[in-house]
Amino acid sequence: MSAQGLVLLENSLQFVGAFVAFSIALVSYKGVRQTQSSSLLRLAAAFVFLGTGFLLEGFYGFGTLQVIPGFEVSLTTLLISGLFLETAGYFFLAFSHMLDVVFDKRMGVMLALFPIMAINQTSLAVILTSLSFYFIVYGVVETLFAYSKNRNPNTLFIASGLSLLASGWWLSLMAGDSILLSIVQLLMKEVGLVILFIPVLKFSFARKSSEWVGPV
Amino acid sequence: MAPYRTQTRIIADILTTARDMNTGGEGVGITMLLRKGNVSYGRMTKLITDLVGAGLLEELNLEKSAKYKISERGMSFLTAYFQFEDFAQSFGLKL
Repeated sequence: MSAQGLVLLENSLQFVGAFVAFSIALVSYKGVRQTQSSSLLRLAAAFVFLGTGFLLEGFYGFGTLQVIPGFEVSLTTLLISGLFLETAGYFFLAFSHMLDVVFDKRMGVMLALFPIMAINQTSLAVILTSLSFYFIVYGVVETLFAYSKNRNPNTLFIASGLSLLASGWWLSLMAGDSILLSIVQLLMKEVGLVILFIPVLKFSFARKSSEWVGPV
Repeated sequence: MAPYRTQTRIIADILTTARDMNTGGEGVGITMLLRKGNVSYGRMTKLITDLVGAGLLEELNLEKSAKYKISERGMSFLTAYFQFEDFAQSFGLKL
């Protein structure tokens, strides 16, 4: 596979990511309407940001490859906006866990690593990427902690999906020109996204099989 | 230490008590709701007022004291709550 083919595949993956993120956001939003839950509101906000971020980054990638003729808006603006929204999404995801940490009156170990991860780079894109990576790793740790308490297999699925995304992300920074590493990181991201989609599928099937009276 | 409960969880607990303890069909008294809901009297009376106002609980005015039973709307809320609780739990969150 050529390097350009890989970049094309990676950018197509951004649209898959956007679809998964918006699906999760939609289910969460329905949950907010039905139960007025603030946790689901934060989850919906997180995945709306993530989905929009993925979309913008996908358009940025297609813009650099000149896949869409005449698509020549400011690519830097697209990239930074996409990365910013993605970081905001991961922040909201981590923030929900941080609130649990505060309410449970325990210390989040990962919070202590924040300054190390966030201020060791100067470029805005690298800072945003570092922040996103930190938030997603924080999400993984807290989701695993939640699994240790609730023993819900779905929680373990989500933790492994987030782990694969984080690992894929980290590998993409390290891959450089290696085609093999690029393919591996793409596969990790793809599987991670599919795993994140499992609760949406499970929820949809559960709703179909149960009597639904209507909104509160 | 008792685990932290969100407001939504406390409401679900009250509605579950009103549903499960209403065996005779005459409703559940505030004492039973207090015992199972594990919140203070002041907070419980405010919550009950809100739940009755939202149509999730029905107030039955009997001779001695008010009793409460879950409404159809309350049942819908509980169904939605348990489905979305599982969804939120998948992401390691409390509803």
